[in-house]
Amino acid sequence: MHGFADWLAGTGFSRTIQSVSWVIPSLQSIHILMIGVVFVSVLMIALRVLGRMRADQPFEAVWRRFAPWMWTGLLVMAGTGLLLITAEPVREFTALSFWLKMLLLALGVTGTALYGRGLRSQARVATGQFSGGAKAASVLLIVLWLAVIFLGRAIAYDKEVWASFSLHA
Amino acid sequence: MDIPSIIHSIEASAPGEWLRTSVKALPIVESIHVLAAATVFGSVFIVDLRLLGLPDTRRPVTLVSREVLRLTWAAFCVAVLAGMLMFTANAHTYYGNTAFRLKMLALVAAGLNMAIFHAAGLRSVARWDQGAPVPLSGRLAGAIAIVLWVSVICLARWIGFTKGYDFKIPSDTHINFQF
Repeated sequence: MHGFADWLAGTGFSRTIQSVSWVIPSLQSIHILMIGVVFVSVLMIALRVLGRMRADQPFEAVWRRFAPWMWTGLLVMAGTGLLLITAEPVREFTALSFWLKMLLLALGVTGTALYGRGLRSQARVATGQFSGGAKAASVLLIVLWLAVIFLGRAIAYDKEVWASFSLHA
Repeated sequence: MDIPSIIHSIEASAPGEWLRTSVKALPIVESIHVLAAATVFGSVFIVDLRLLGLPDTRRPVTLVSREVLRLTWAAFCVAVLAGMLMFTANAHTYYGNTAFRLKMLALVAAGLNMAIFHAAGLRSVARWDQGAPVPLSGRLAGAIAIVLWVSVICLARWIGFTKGYDFKIPSDTHINFQF
């Protein structure tokens, strides 16, 4: 089966599709644009908790402004991501970065949902400064999403990044 | 000095050599470039949406842009630095690439759009800063900026699919096969 896949990928027909097709670059472009929307939305929310952005606005207002963009962006990325996996399954499934990304992605989505819920209730009770735990969680959230983004790009360079740990044969 | 020889000397420079021969340098530089570029788009998008009156006109335009553009400029500087390193590694393939040239044009256009808006459109901002519809010139500047930044990102992705890889060894390189 592997031999068949290799043979198919090497045929002139397959190469032509891969070189003239605008589908994969378009999907990747949308995916990257959405990284911008999602990452900046996360930053705006997290920086608000850290007191570095929109300190004049209540947390609830900042969350309501950016959370819908964040979730919608993530949904679009799930769509383009699934299509990209379908287009190049071997590339994705044989990359350690891909599996690590999926793991951190699951953590990121759950973590962000819990974070939003926790901070909105904390903001309702206490006015002014957030707790140290809330600030630490904000930093952690930024780092977590950064890791997801970097691992996404690293899929293209699995062997260079992971050397002997790479799943590439 | 003509452009081809400038391109050649950029590519033959020590940083260019290092980026091509180091296994991990380019993937890291590229990742940073993508992240920074996405951040530029995502943050400038907030200002452009506000110019279009989205999500509402309650927050002053000047405040929205002031707080967000710090992030935009920081990310832009990182993206330019990382992009220059990527260019250095394969200068002549980038230089000859149509998507790359169009991307540079779109970047210049985005800069001009912003400069014109700042010099002309923003002068009357006191009248529409908050709670009022942004005049046509401002809405237009916002819409044009969105189109141009989306183009920049798409064209950038297109470079990766069209520039190809050049394994030609420069004529002045001496290879020593002794180990």
